[in-house]
Amino acid sequence: MRSLLVLASGLLGAVAAHRPALAQVTAPVNGPHDRNVPVHAFVHATVHPSPGRTLYDATVVVSGDRITAVGQGVSVPKDAVVHDLHGAHVWPGLVEPYGDLGMPKETPAPARAPAGAHHWNPAVRATQRAATRYAPDAEQAARLRAQGVTAVWVHQADGIVRGTGAVVLPAGRSPQLDVLVADASAHFSFQKGSSTDPYPSSLTGAIALFRQTLLDARWYAEGGAADLRDAELEALAAQQRLPWVFEARDRDDVLRIAALGREHGFRAIVRGGGDEYARWPEVAAAGLDLILPVVQPDAPDVRDPHDALEVPIARLKHWELAPHGPRILHEAGLRFAFTRQGLKDPDDWWPALRRLVRCGLDSSIAIAACTTVPAAYLGLQDRLGVLATGALANLLITTDHLLAEDNSVQETWVAGERFVHTDRGLADVRGTYDLNLDGRTLRLEVSGGRWRDRKAVLQGASGDTVKYAVDLTHTGERIGLRFDAKAIGRAGDVRLNGTVHADGAIWDGQGVLPGGTWAPWSAVRRTDAGPVKEPVARRSALDSLLAGAPGTVWAPFSAFGDTLVPDSATILFKGATVWTNTSQGVLRHADVLVHQGRVAAVGTALDPFTVLTARTPPVVREVDAKGLHLTPGIVDEHSHIALRRGVNEGGQAISAEVRMTDVIDPDDVDIYRQLAGGVTAAQLLHGSANPIGGQSAVVKLRWGLPADAYPVQGAKGFIKFALGENVKQSTSPYGSRYPRTRMGVEQLMLDAFLRARDHRALHDAHAAATAGTRARRRRTAPPPAPRRDLELEALGEILRGERFISCHSYVQSEIEMLMDLADSLGFTVNTFTHILEGYKMAARMREHGVAASTFSDWWAYKWEVYEAIPYNAALLWQAGVLTGINSDDAEMGRRLNQEAAKAVKYGGVPEEEALKMVTLNPARMLRLDHRMGTVEPGKDADLVLWSAHPLSIDARAEMTLVDGRPLFERARDERLRAALRAERERLTGKVLAAQRLGARTESPAPRKDGHWHCETIGEEP
Amino acid sequence: MRTAMTLFAALAACLVLAQRPAPAPPQARSVLIRDAQVHTGDGRLIAGGFVGFRNGVIDHVGPTAPAARYDTVIDAAGGHLYPGFILPDATLGLAEIDQVQATIDEDEAGDITPEVRASAAYNVDSRIIPTVRRNGVLIAQVVPRGGMVSGRSSVVQLDAWDRRDALIARDNGVHLNWPGAFARHGWWAEPGPVVREKAEERQRRLRDLETLFTEAAARARRPEAAPADVRVQALAGLFTGAATLFVQAEQAQDIQEAVLFADRMGVKRTVLVGGYDAWRVADLLRDKRVAVVLRRLHSLPLRNDDDVDLPFRLPALLHERGVPFCLSYTGDMERMGARNLPFVAGTARAHGLPPEEAVRCATLAAAQVLGIDARYGSLAVGKSATLFLSSGDALDMRTNAVRHAFIDGRAIALDNVQEELHEMYRSRIARP
Repeated sequence: MRSLLVLASGLLGAVAAHRPALAQVTAPVNGPHDRNVPVHAFVHATVHPSPGRTLYDATVVVSGDRITAVGQGVSVPKDAVVHDLHGAHVWPGLVEPYGDLGMPKETPAPARAPAGAHHWNPAVRATQRAATRYAPDAEQAARLRAQGVTAVWVHQADGIVRGTGAVVLPAGRSPQLDVLVADASAHFSFQKGSSTDPYPSSLTGAIALFRQTLLDARWYAEGGAADLRDAELEALAAQQRLPWVFEARDRDDVLRIAALGREHGFRAIVRGGGDEYARWPEVAAAGLDLILPVVQPDAPDVRDPHDALEVPIARLKHWELAPHGPRILHEAGLRFAFTRQGLKDPDDWWPALRRLVRCGLDSSIAIAACTTVPAAYLGLQDRLGVLATGALANLLITTDHLLAEDNSVQETWVAGERFVHTDRGLADVRGTYDLNLDGRTLRLEVSGGRWRDRKAVLQGASGDTVKYAVDLTHTGERIGLRFDAKAIGRAGDVRLNGTVHADGAIWDGQGVLPGGTWAPWSAVRRTDAGPVKEPVARRSALDSLLAGAPGTVWAPFSAFGDTLVPDSATILFKGATVWTNTSQGVLRHADVLVHQGRVAAVGTALDPFTVLTARTPPVVREVDAKGLHLTPGIVDEHSHIALRRGVNEGGQAISAEVRMTDVIDPDDVDIYRQLAGGVTAAQLLHGSANPIGGQSAVVKLRWGLPADAYPVQGAKGFIKFALGENVKQSTSPYGSRYPRTRMGVEQLMLDAFLRARDHRALHDAHAAATAGTRARRRRTAPPPAPRRDLELEALGEILRGERFISCHSYVQSEIEMLMDLADSLGFTVNTFTHILEGYKMAARMREHGVAASTFSDWWAYKWEVYEAIPYNAALLWQAGVLTGINSDDAEMGRRLNQEAAKAVKYGGVPEEEALKMVTLNPARMLRLDHRMGTVEPGKDADLVLWSAHPLSIDARAEMTLVDGRPLFERARDERLRAALRAERERLTGKVLAAQRLGARTESPAPRKDGHWHCETIGEEP
Repeated sequence: MRTAMTLFAALAACLVLAQRPAPAPPQARSVLIRDAQVHTGDGRLIAGGFVGFRNGVIDHVGPTAPAARYDTVIDAAGGHLYPGFILPDATLGLAEIDQVQATIDEDEAGDITPEVRASAAYNVDSRIIPTVRRNGVLIAQVVPRGGMVSGRSSVVQLDAWDRRDALIARDNGVHLNWPGAFARHGWWAEPGPVVREKAEERQRRLRDLETLFTEAAARARRPEAAPADVRVQALAGLFTGAATLFVQAEQAQDIQEAVLFADRMGVKRTVLVGGYDAWRVADLLRDKRVAVVLRRLHSLPLRNDDDVDLPFRLPALLHERGVPFCLSYTGDMERMGARNLPFVAGTARAHGLPPEEAVRCATLAAAQVLGIDARYGSLAVGKSATLFLSSGDALDMRTNAVRHAFIDGRAIALDNVQEELHEMYRSRIARP
């Protein structure tokens, strides 16, 4: 009989699952169908229908899987099962917005070339559907329910284009019943996941693939792809109307996603990394909806002062500020949902949430982030996250406020299905009792939590000071006690069983004493439980410590960051030796006036107020520059600083589609270090792994500003090319990638350019045709637009003289080859970079009109530079080639003035010409010489004030201006160092205090990766 | 100056288009250099000074002309005279081209290889060597790389027909790379995070090291015994004082561990190599009499939060704390870049090291560290005439112009393959 009952209840469970008013199921049922639609009424409860609203002594009525009434004075249907919730709270069920419930942990064996008409790149998985992959996971569902989660937004977190997400109910039943919404959303990331295709290997490549895929999907949808079937493009086109959810690793990714959205007309919901507060003004301006992890970083262990040196300030500050992050973002006007994702221990959820509230986040905002906000993201605001008529019957019953320290979730209802975690009917049995048994009266103490972790001890008969542990069970109205019979002066065990009366004040029943004799017993409460002593008190002290006012957010969020970025100032340099780089040459005892980011005047005894005719005279800062040298800012033609997660997209030999502007890292401390070396602008280049690399970022080093402020406005487009040993992969000579020889490099480039020409012709023809159609008043439909290929577009720009090549090159054969190739295709190579054998081809280079950006004295690091000579720059210059000296090295980049001096030493270049090799000449190569490279009125105020002759080893930058902003200045540097030391000191003290209060710490050098924020997903370095 | 010009013009003429200049013959004619800014290397500057030498040995240094006659008189005309610069912790002659494996002889297989000796592989004909000496670097310590115990080093002069000719001190250094508590990852364009080394792996390596050192120390007490294991034998000098332990460590805790390890093992003489944090543990280094071969100053701070110019200021910091040190050029492109050693000294000077101390840390201080200071490292009567004359300040790339260089009194050729290519292609180019 028993087993039959179990079977029956199991079947009932399956069928009763989601009880719509009119149950319609496809699966056959074994026996009679459960056609009952139960009605439940929760009465006398404190009801929280939506964040910030509270109804006292209110009623919630549920019929089947829906809520049919919420309010005070709601009439209870006669057929309702009534739940008296006096003293309890009812909340809308929580929605987990970034879950993986039921998603297969192992993705199907990743294939280099997937079977079927799928996208060529396995990281594009638009056909992946969470709904069809969902497999109920009873254990995980139970864990989620215990935390009050009643709906989970899941997706398969694999790939760059990840397919659709689903909303599932954690009821642990059949997938058909659990899946509430099948294609709820479309998901994206910058991580290629399990794909084994070599492309993309970098962040810049991942972004490029995403961008191209969007264009392809549009082209496909518009019917352009006559000869091609691609299930992913088809699926992606159909996903245009869904909410798009993007996974970001950190704040910079969030801003990248915002920029892509502006570019392609989508507004994504972004799963952030938890450090968005560090760029809150920009993140707020982007205005995206966020999903934030509640996980907060553990403190770095700083007990050992030497070990502590390894902890960067950013990590310390993040530890302190992360719990304040949501508050900061809320104050900035952003909307966010909270996810459990990333929690090391699921039980950290409530403490983490409470900490956010302690740190000033309004509790209703915190609750909204778990209920109404994710529901709204899904467009399910009427069905999920609220207690309202018509909403799904997803609700929680708790003993206290949801975020209270000792709150207990007692029941979770998922779509009308009840899951009990704690028996709410329990009376509070804590306190001190007189236990009467066997003619004696013993003292019983019950302490601990009301609902769990109860502890009972018995003090023996008079004279006995020993305390005996009591095993106490309390279910419903039944209570049981077991203890050692020594407590009553006998050998053996005592087992008592009875019932609880008078709200827990009186217990009585029968028990068995040693020897098997039955005896009556009773317990009468003498005193109530005292204040509950739990580890709570300790944690509170820690929370109050962490809730204390945190330090300020620095821009950038790094060493040498500041609370304010210096503004462009009006500065008068007086009595300097000015290297103008113009026909005026070097001026002694000259004045230079900087105003509104430009050089306003150069002369002697300048009166700023005669020069500036502004109505309100500005505050002029005078800088005594006697004995100092003022030069244009250094322009580094070849730099790889400030780039994030890969400077090479090595997955393909041609990667013209990737853009380094996508991956600028404005927090790279090398930016500041280079400002300290007088660098004001740089070309951030793709690496040299590919014959045709990626598009450059031509930037100014605007330390403190966000990534999108770095590119020089209006700068021309540049692209990296490379020749020789790197691109033919000389260190792995048996590789199969084409090209393996310089011969192959030539043909690969020729082929690419020919394809680019065809691509261009196709688009031109289409443009002409549509223009014609328009002229004929659209009597015939325009032909579908040809596919936009971003790689070929970039190459087409080169052919038309709209994009300029900076080509990594060494030996004369390859230099000559590329010039010949360019000549044959009708364009000019803009710059040969490195170009260590340029001196052998100098005349030919001058004839072609290409510039040379070289190293001063590098050689012998590979075979192709064995004939490199330090006289290269001088010889090229003598031959009339526009010559510069670059760094290609973050360290040397801060001493480029010294590298220029080597052109004087090796080959006798005049000093002014040598200085131009790191200022005006690279500016000309970058086609920015109308803005930088000289000191003359109208030019950008990108200037360096040197302590000595700028080419001498003794010269140190005293001040470096970018757009008139003094971004490096010795006095400011001193102040920033002091501020950094003070902040480290303060935070170290705070970490130590937190550690004493029991805060978790981790090694000062985390093993995982370089990112100090909460979690890391993905494969890039 | 004219006499000298003639002399060297003749010498240069016979070297034209010889890709590798011939080593110079022993000094036959005595030489006096007059009117030079004499940087003696021991911390003094003699303005308008005189330095004379014959048979390879200096016999006059001072502010006034010597009484003795010299066959050749070079008028320095106010140029700067220095002891030959000394490059410690180098791989000159052990490798030629970084990415051509066949040219590389610097890193033997195995984690503990004290038996291998740089002197066995040193290539006197490396084309890189003449370019290094072109800027005044005349002596180098040639050091094996890799593993925990890399092998043994020798000190060579940089103008030689063969190894025997080149060697100044043979196999007198044992090189240990201290397994760091933290390791850094990543590459130059994207420096990686700092990661704590796997503790067990590190402990195992350190136990292996300790075992070897303990056995070697014991064995060294009975030198008359039959030849020992090659590894044990290779370490013997550390316990007799014949060899110096050069231990590479950067971070404070590693330096402490390494120095105390050497001390506990009974190593007679220890030198720290690298030493980014040496200034933080200066007391220990002074106490244990450990000198420092300082890492290349032209490098980035190891920690994001460090002062931007901290690497440049390391010499001044050590000087202020009384820790003896010399400079190196260890790191990427260390062979071809070694000609920049003088500018590293210049950087030290520009960032707070007194000017003649900057000279000393590339000359006498290095000679002391390498144990060759009895003959090399300073301009003093009785010492080897290993010196060079630059028409300008040799520590500044803007003015470094070496006109004459002598090793043991031999007037060495300053030509090299690069000068030759320069001449060859200059004739092809006519400035329009």
